[in-house]
Amino acid sequence: MSARLKILEHALASMARRKQKNFAIIAVYTLTVATLASILFLTQALRNEAANVLLGAPDLVVQRLLAGHHDLIPKQYAEQIAKLPGVGKVTPRVWGYYYDSLKKVNFTLLGVNDASEPPLLAGHLPTSGRQCALGRGIADTYGVEIGDSLVLVDSKNRTLLYEITGLFSHQSSLLTNDLILLPEAELRRFFALPDSQASDLAVQVYNEQEVSTLAKKIKHQLPDTRPIGKMEILHTYDTVFNWRSGIMLTIFSSALIAFCILAWDKATGISAEEKREIGILKAIGWETSDVLLLKFWEGLAVSLSSFLLGTIIAYLHIFFFGAGVLGPVIQGWSVLFPKFDLTPAIDLYQIFALAGLTIIPYIACTVIPSWKNAVTDPDSVMRS
Amino acid sequence: MLLNPGILALLLGCSLAFAMLLYAAWLGLRILSRWDPQSSSEAQLQLERRTYLVSTLTNYAFSFEILSGLLFIFTLEDIHSLFIGAMCATGTLNANQIGWLVLLIKIVLFFTAAIWVHFNRLDQRTEDTPLVRPKYLGLLLLTPLVGLDLLLQYSYFTGLQPEIITSCCGSLFTLGSDSVASELAGLPVEPTMLTFFLAAGIFLILLVLCLSSKLALFRYLLFVASLGLFFVSLAAIVSFISLYIYQMPTHHCPFDMLQANYGFIGYPLYGGLFIGCLYGLLPGLAQLLPKTLSLHIEIEKTERRWLLRAFFAIVIFLLIVAGPILLGPFILLSY
Amino acid sequence: MQRSLAFGAYLLFSSLLLALLLYSGRQQADTVAEHYFPANRQLVKQLGLTDLSIWSEARYTRHPSQADLFTAFQDYPGAFDHFPAGSIIGPGCLQGSPSLSFQKRGQP
Repeated sequence: MSARLKILEHALASMARRKQKNFAIIAVYTLTVATLASILFLTQALRNEAANVLLGAPDLVVQRLLAGHHDLIPKQYAEQIAKLPGVGKVTPRVWGYYYDSLKKVNFTLLGVNDASEPPLLAGHLPTSGRQCALGRGIADTYGVEIGDSLVLVDSKNRTLLYEITGLFSHQSSLLTNDLILLPEAELRRFFALPDSQASDLAVQVYNEQEVSTLAKKIKHQLPDTRPIGKMEILHTYDTVFNWRSGIMLTIFSSALIAFCILAWDKATGISAEEKREIGILKAIGWETSDVLLLKFWEGLAVSLSSFLLGTIIAYLHIFFFGAGVLGPVIQGWSVLFPKFDLTPAIDLYQIFALAGLTIIPYIACTVIPSWKNAVTDPDSVMRS
Repeated sequence: MLLNPGILALLLGCSLAFAMLLYAAWLGLRILSRWDPQSSSEAQLQLERRTYLVSTLTNYAFSFEILSGLLFIFTLEDIHSLFIGAMCATGTLNANQIGWLVLLIKIVLFFTAAIWVHFNRLDQRTEDTPLVRPKYLGLLLLTPLVGLDLLLQYSYFTGLQPEIITSCCGSLFTLGSDSVASELAGLPVEPTMLTFFLAAGIFLILLVLCLSSKLALFRYLLFVASLGLFFVSLAAIVSFISLYIYQMPTHHCPFDMLQANYGFIGYPLYGGLFIGCLYGLLPGLAQLLPKTLSLHIEIEKTERRWLLRAFFAIVIFLLIVAGPILLGPFILLSY
Repeated sequence: MQRSLAFGAYLLFSSLLLALLLYSGRQQADTVAEHYFPANRQLVKQLGLTDLSIWSEARYTRHPSQADLFTAFQDYPGAFDHFPAGSIIGPGCLQGSPSLSFQKRGQP
């Protein structure tokens, strides 16, 4: 045991003698791990957030499809659906988009009916005609507060003013960032929607396990509809973030390959001094397996220190500095991007996968060069 | 194809391990064909040098293969939420039938690779390396297995479709259907429990006998006993150990215990079983090795450590099993 | 032995730091699960929301779970972009289309 420790001691000493080279490798290695880990941590946190928050989503959303795309749904569909056994309340939802060509943002306008106070809202929901409530993202981008007025141009090209009565808090910005709430009647007037139709229907189902059966029944009775279950909504987000992280990891693999080439190169091209060192070690009685062990310790020291450092940096980056560097990659063209206040959802699995993605390639590309060095003849080195 | 970090890590790692093994096997083939320990020619010296490369490459590759089993289970647990109807790794495995085959190969690889690594270490401690031939023959046999593992894993992960509705463990491990799983779940509790503790008892007694005597027979018996204990334990986990862990008379799943809501108790449980059985197999196998003096001394030196490891691992396993049976509030058998 | 000790200490320190971070993350996640998730879930329930407001540039990114299955330009999540340039340029500026503006309190 102590012999192994002594070899570790020697490995560390010889690494310390070649500070620059090892520092370069550790720096690049750390950066590689940190980038990979940031991607993993960020997407996992988003996945977790979506899965937990969207549990409150409607059990079933029924859309009407017309000519292959989403269309307004007649309110009598709601009555028909409400008659099915197992169905609770059927709520027609009214919502739409409003495009701001200056900021290039698509806002979501949502009609609200009940004025009971929702959580995470400062002020109150719009009650009378000319009032609205906004998401935090809009308020921050345009620098407005409660009491100011929102100016919108409706479908008949009239300019309308809405007094802001409520603002959602930061804590809900992943949900409400670009949301504009108007009273439902007012929203219908604004979009010139007929009273007999709605955007879609939110259906309450008493028994969770009956959702898919009910979806089939609805589809059968009303063939031009498309029911979307809560599970499907949750799945969408699971796959979206899996896909995002996978794509980023795939793109990132080129960086990983570059790092491997660096590691290979550094391991192959050792200096004459280093060669002499190995030659002397072997001349004074070290076995080839001892030199290999020495190389193993070196690799382990580099891998472990970079891996730990990189993971810590990634954690701080994502959860303390709000994913400042990586945010834009997830963001895409989104202008009104919610400020991240993510909660960590890391488990051992991710640390494991991360180790698999970084340590194994490093080991794989240093093993043959270090063997080549380990079997050098002492006499050939010392004679040269 | 799912682009999941765990899947990427598994595929990347297994491909690298396979590539390393292929190279090692090719070198091994060349060494095998020209190996002559009596010779002191330049060629033999080169070959001896290459053996270091082979064992380093193989050690790394096999170490990864051993760890990859754990990563595989981790990944299955993580992605089960993508499949409708899946609630644990069973659902993910059912989503594409090849998964069970991959799991089987991973278990076989765990044992064979670990045995290879241990014998390689024995061999490298000796001066005359008497195990070169059997070792490289083993390497040549194991390389295709690793390739098969990679291939099956690839087709398993590419074949996973999130839209598939799979069945969860509740429907697989239930009584009354005609599968092996339900046969196992349907094993009567009392005889299974008896067999299990009997097998564990025999195993421990043989271990103690091996520790105190040098008779080869005990080691062979221990080999048989560890094999027996392994299969009996797997059956027992499905049949009654799971029931005690979940404290539910109908929940037979062998994977749910790996989840956080059961305190990850499955990891030490399976870890104890696998490690215990592995070290129970080694002394018996070591008796079959060529009887050179140098090797004999090395085996004498390390065997005690193997036996002690086997002992502690199995004791941990038994403690985890017996804990909920003796102390838990859940009672399956009335007295 | 000094270097091994220093290295061991470094490893111990950074693994402890990482463990501490992960642990504090767990704690944070627990408080969030206790206060923040239920409030947001309640909000989702009351307003009947179906999607996260992350990407607001197009309807299939704003409401991925509600997007059309197929449209003329296949704008559903996961579709290949119709024109390769779509991955390079941003959305165009539509002439004469409305914009969002605000009026400060007390101003005409």
